Amino acid sequence: MHTDAAIVGVGQSAYTRRPQPGQSTHTFIRDAVVAALSDAGVDAREVDGMAAASFSLAPDAAVDLAWKLGVSLRWLVQDSNGGSSAMNMLGHALRAVESGAASVILVVGGDATGLGGYAKVAANFNIVTQLHLAPLGHGGPNGVYALVTSRQMKKYGLQKSDYGHIAIAQRAWAAHNPYAVYRTPMTMEEYLAAPLVADPLSRYDCVPVVAGAQAIVVTHPDRGPRGRAPVRVRAHRTSFNYDNQEGDGLATGISTFAGELWQAAGVRPEDVDVAAIYDDYPTMVLAQLNDLGMIAGNDLARFARRDIGERRFPVNTWGGMLSAGQPGGPAGGLNGISEAVLQLQQRAGARQVKNARLAVATGYGMTMYRYGGTAAAAILERME
Amino acid sequence: MTPGLGIWRCANCRSGFFPQRLLCARCHGASFEPDRVYEAVVEEVSVIRHMLGQSDWQPRRIASVRTSDGQRITIGLTDESGPGTVIELFEQDTAPFGAAKK
Repeated sequence: MHTDAAIVGVGQSAYTRRPQPGQSTHTFIRDAVVAALSDAGVDAREVDGMAAASFSLAPDAAVDLAWKLGVSLRWLVQDSNGGSSAMNMLGHALRAVESGAASVILVVGGDATGLGGYAKVAANFNIVTQLHLAPLGHGGPNGVYALVTSRQMKKYGLQKSDYGHIAIAQRAWAAHNPYAVYRTPMTMEEYLAAPLVADPLSRYDCVPVVAGAQAIVVTHPDRGPRGRAPVRVRAHRTSFNYDNQEGDGLATGISTFAGELWQAAGVRPEDVDVAAIYDDYPTMVLAQLNDLGMIAGNDLARFARRDIGERRFPVNTWGGMLSAGQPGGPAGGLNGISEAVLQLQQRAGARQVKNARLAVATGYGMTMYRYGGTAAAAILERME
Repeated sequence: MTPGLGIWRCANCRSGFFPQRLLCARCHGASFEPDRVYEAVVEEVSVIRHMLGQSDWQPRRIASVRTSDGQRITIGLTDESGPGTVIELFEQDTAPFGAAKK
């Protein structure tokens, strides 16, 4: 349990599908940083630590970002683990504050690749992708997770419409999120009629790439704004290269630590009020929830139809990346953490889950060859 | 086009790998010998119908297959083979492809 460090502020930039001239990864990150510092009531001069992740910051590195933000630091981390970067950085930041390595840490992530730039990132994600996947015309992550989705459908008896319940429910949440790029409610008919992108994945199964950034502030709980409860992390775990890419991808790295995570947190899956699950594809939402032990009897179809389809359990209440947009993997993990914080602090507006006190948030990513090789999760709680 | 697919076999425990590794995932041996596999069974298939950033994209088929040596790999399918089909593997440059065994 992290008792001497907490999240005290969150902020984000605007999200846009097509960044305009003058907008860049750097400017989106700046906007998110300004928003997070304001939300936390922290002056930029107080910041002495930063963790940053981005696919499109290069050739700049985190220290260049510090320079351009005018923050002088004694602790700096740059993470390159894609969809689990945000959760990794949160863990690093909590430990840094508790150890005294830094006292006020900005955790930032953002990207502004544009669609063409993202296509280059997807084709050059790592050496294996360059050599063995891109020459196939594999379509980037869409092709990879199309194959994973087919396996999941076969193993768990899922129908295409089961994934639709996730996309539709998240779109309904997104209607209450002014930052989401897609807010118009979606019907099952519209979901099923959407053009196929990579069979069996269709348009609304694939996360829309956006430009944008997110930031959070981690510090001692006492340094948060007066009258607002900080959010602490009861437990936090990570996993990297859990199976050497030799499994089926239907279990994520979360499966290696879920029991330990709940035990360390001292709570059970059924105690959770709201979940922020990394949703690059609906397939992976179900896989991670199952790994967390949150799907009774491993019955993914029933969970999708009943718990999500009938809105019995709130998952990805900001609309998730599927509706709000994915500002690169790193910030795409930070928006889930930020939403959990807003929910636990009762600041989520029209999408507020009543009396939310306990949340689970995850990160998942780095599609190494056949599926993602990194995963992380945390149990978050409002401090009274 | 080169028949078969080049894999890397651990000189110590004989486990075969694709893509190439630095150490054997089984015994952590550091020496590998080149080998080839020629057949695989198709497990899942997808048709890539849209490619980000390309307007004149022609659909392509990819598949997850299990080779006769046990590796699960992703290939390009050059015919209409479906799950369960035994295929022949071949390489074009550094990428693995396959088509139904004739």
